[in-house]
Amino acid sequence: MVIKLTGGQIYDPTHNIDGQVKDLYIVDDKISQTVPNNKKIDLEYDINDYIVMAGAIDMHTHIGGGKVNIARTMMLEDQLAHPDYGSNSLRAGNGHIVPSTFSTGYRYAEMGYTACFEPAVLPVNARQAHMEMADIPMIDKGGYVLLGNDDYLLQMINKGASQSAINDYVAWLLDAAQCLGVKVVNAGGIHAFKFNQRRLDTDEIGPSGITPRQIISTLSQAVYDLGIPHPLHVHASNLGIPGNFESTLATMSAADGLPIHLTHIQFHSYGTEGDHKFSSAACQIAEAINNQPNVTADVGQIMFGQTITASADTMMQYFGHSHGYPKKWTIMDIECEAGCGVVPFKYRDQSFVNALQWAIGLEIFLQVNDPWRVFLTTDHPNGAPFTSYPHLIKLLMDRSFRNDIFCNIHPDAQKLSNLASMQREYSLYEIAIMTRAAPAKILGLKDHGHLGDSAKANITIYRKQDNIEQMFTRPYMVFKNGVLIVKDGNVVETVQGITHVVKPDFDRAIEKPLNKYFEDYQTIAFSNFKITADEMTDCIGSEIQVHPCKLN
Amino acid sequence: MQYDYVTCPHCGLLCDDLSVDVHDLSVQLKTTNHPVCKQAYDDASMDRNALPSPLVNGNPTSLQESLVTAANLLKKSRQPLISGMITDVQACRNAIALTEMVGGVIDHANGSRMRISSAIMQRMGEIKTTLSEVRNRADCIVIFGANVLNKFPRLYDRILSPAQSLGSGKTKKKKIIILDLAKDVTSLHTNDNDVSHMYLDVPSLDSLVHKLVYVFNKPVNTFVEIDETTQALLDLHQSILKSQYTTFIWSVAEFKLETAEHTIQAITQCIKKLMTNIRCVALPLGGSKAEITASQVSTWQTGVPLPVAFMSGAPVHDPNLFDGMKMLENNEADTLVWIATYSSKDTPPKADIPTIVIGHPNMHCESSTNVFIPTGIPGIDHRGLACRTDGIATLPLKSIRNSELTAACEVINQLSKLI
Repeated sequence: MVIKLTGGQIYDPTHNIDGQVKDLYIVDDKISQTVPNNKKIDLEYDINDYIVMAGAIDMHTHIGGGKVNIARTMMLEDQLAHPDYGSNSLRAGNGHIVPSTFSTGYRYAEMGYTACFEPAVLPVNARQAHMEMADIPMIDKGGYVLLGNDDYLLQMINKGASQSAINDYVAWLLDAAQCLGVKVVNAGGIHAFKFNQRRLDTDEIGPSGITPRQIISTLSQAVYDLGIPHPLHVHASNLGIPGNFESTLATMSAADGLPIHLTHIQFHSYGTEGDHKFSSAACQIAEAINNQPNVTADVGQIMFGQTITASADTMMQYFGHSHGYPKKWTIMDIECEAGCGVVPFKYRDQSFVNALQWAIGLEIFLQVNDPWRVFLTTDHPNGAPFTSYPHLIKLLMDRSFRNDIFCNIHPDAQKLSNLASMQREYSLYEIAIMTRAAPAKILGLKDHGHLGDSAKANITIYRKQDNIEQMFTRPYMVFKNGVLIVKDGNVVETVQGITHVVKPDFDRAIEKPLNKYFEDYQTIAFSNFKITADEMTDCIGSEIQVHPCKLN
Repeated sequence: MQYDYVTCPHCGLLCDDLSVDVHDLSVQLKTTNHPVCKQAYDDASMDRNALPSPLVNGNPTSLQESLVTAANLLKKSRQPLISGMITDVQACRNAIALTEMVGGVIDHANGSRMRISSAIMQRMGEIKTTLSEVRNRADCIVIFGANVLNKFPRLYDRILSPAQSLGSGKTKKKKIIILDLAKDVTSLHTNDNDVSHMYLDVPSLDSLVHKLVYVFNKPVNTFVEIDETTQALLDLHQSILKSQYTTFIWSVAEFKLETAEHTIQAITQCIKKLMTNIRCVALPLGGSKAEITASQVSTWQTGVPLPVAFMSGAPVHDPNLFDGMKMLENNEADTLVWIATYSSKDTPPKADIPTIVIGHPNMHCESSTNVFIPTGIPGIDHRGLACRTDGIATLPLKSIRNSELTAACEVINQLSKLI
């Protein structure tokens, strides 16, 4: 099958194409710049005056795992208020803030997204996370396995295990949990909370006998040594605490110049200035990112309205629960690995703190110079549901729209933010970088996020219009692996994505002590803990694609 | 042939360290002699010369014929109820798809009990933990009702009295307090040195919880008189305040159905209050009829827990309107699809409506059952997935026998294709 897309305006930052008019071909499930000699065009779409980008990639969105089900149950009123009626081809569902799996897939596809990544896969919960994601149609998925609060790793570091032994453990866990990257959440803090410690700073020794800095340093080295494309994905210490920008800067430095990705950095960019002892440190954070090429970040923008926060960071979720709304919260310690905390929040523009959080996120977006190193996320659902992305894009691309909203937020927050003075407006090319080219690059997905030859034919075509939010809400067409799945913002064909993983090499000798650890302390057998590739396909319901690692 | 590290889905603990001997279609549990565990595996044995056949109105027939009959019943139905749901993840997935297709209601056999946990989570949230965390972190265990140890046969050996523990000596040799009614003094571990029993002269386990919460919450200097029971609870409170990680364990089935929600809400509030200064958590136990599996799959696929009604097209969760057992009692369903693949004893409730059973191969249904389709047992005849009591760990169920029985998920899938 050959499809010709004629006359579209192409935005493909991977190939430095910035709005040039160009024909594009879909040959079966791949993109081509030409028609292969032995083939003829089966179908042509005239997309003159339309905008063409690769399918969008959400590199940090909580769409699978036990915490999402807890959030769904706790937000029952929101689920029932947003029914999703099924049809002959679409499954029914529920929910706006934490939609059911089928609805999650449809909503992402309708916005032109073709791949999404769950950033907090607890090893013991990996099976369930993959099962849930397997029931999300339309998009490709993947996960980052959670480390840095597991007793096994903390003991290894404390006992002075060699870096190579730690690398073997990290690689083994990636294999066992079928994941694409490594995540650390409040390094050592979740573990410390189990010992009733309520805060843990970056250079403070926790109950494990080591500091968060040591954990970050060791894991970033492991990720680098193993050649895992995605840098260590770090949720820093002290989330939500005034003055936490200092521990965020300390976390960056803990990587010792190795690649490190700071996630939902908005929640970690707070100062202590002003009457409320809460201020924006976006400038310091953006400057640090600008000056350190090894650092990348996604923002975790908040939007005003009701949402629910779901995080492995039990320590800080417990700390923040008194600010939650409605007044209910769940905290769970999990299996000597990590934990989860689920707290609903209603961000209000007339709340000083919430208004400033909103401004801080945008300040970071606008002050980080390189769009290849800052990513568009709301940390779904923690800052806002992912369906708010088109609104966020408009905030970034339209200064007057942004300032109109800024003028109406809490007046004290306006005084403490320099957002109104920022001239920058993101271009379509920059949006294409931060939502397509850069996520694919940082995740090591070579055949995603661009429109070059042999890329997967994941393509989103937008109808050009003045209302940017509307444009990104309802693409004209979306292709997934060459199949037209969305037309005029509606799903027209359902497809099943795959799961992206990496399998770095490791010394199998690590399995001997691990097996003993499981026998002595865990409640799942070593052999049952591991998820095999055939279990992914035959039982869980998603095929895996292994991406190469390059040994450093 | 012996299979090791077999997962047992017959209680919510999902022990996966079992060894099972398989000789043709005979299976025998080797690891534990606990009668509850052993019986569950004995129940699975079959004679190859007397393999169960699908039945239509009690008469043996082919799988295809039974599916066609079942499909015709569902096509005629205006209000089908899909229930039982004592099965694996894959069958749950397909059962939800079937329910959506026929515009029916889906609920679990123990739906009314499951609702209680969902309601607490929905209303106020919880503080919980998982099995390994208790095994390694907990130094103080408070159990509401000795019967919990009977219902979860290996809880004591595997979790509460571990041979090894990551923590200090106190987490290996835990302080275990079993609270129960004065009149009910039997338990598996009455004479165990590690375990102390505290009997309260109260009318029910629910009353016991409320008494504990009352004493814990009341400032000591405001007691006019401190009787023996109150003093014991005050001592327990002090003991908990001095402990590093206290775990409260209960099973919702041990409380009275009418009051359980109120009871669990009270103890959850109490734990949340204690958390202000110390670490303590809950380990609610359940899932012995695959309730956790059914609930998890429903919640991720439909966005809401069971029961779920699809009459409007979108999933609706209304535990009052769509309680499966009440619907049967009130004649509000006109066809029942009963899915139960783990035990031959999980037969459907009596209902004077057309009934389709997709069930354990050794199940004997009432003669009034219109269609009986015997299936493979997940974890014996085919692979499957099951969710543990803590709602976090999901375990693989192995295929350890070649019976050629079709898996329930496949039966449901084929049935859906005929509708």
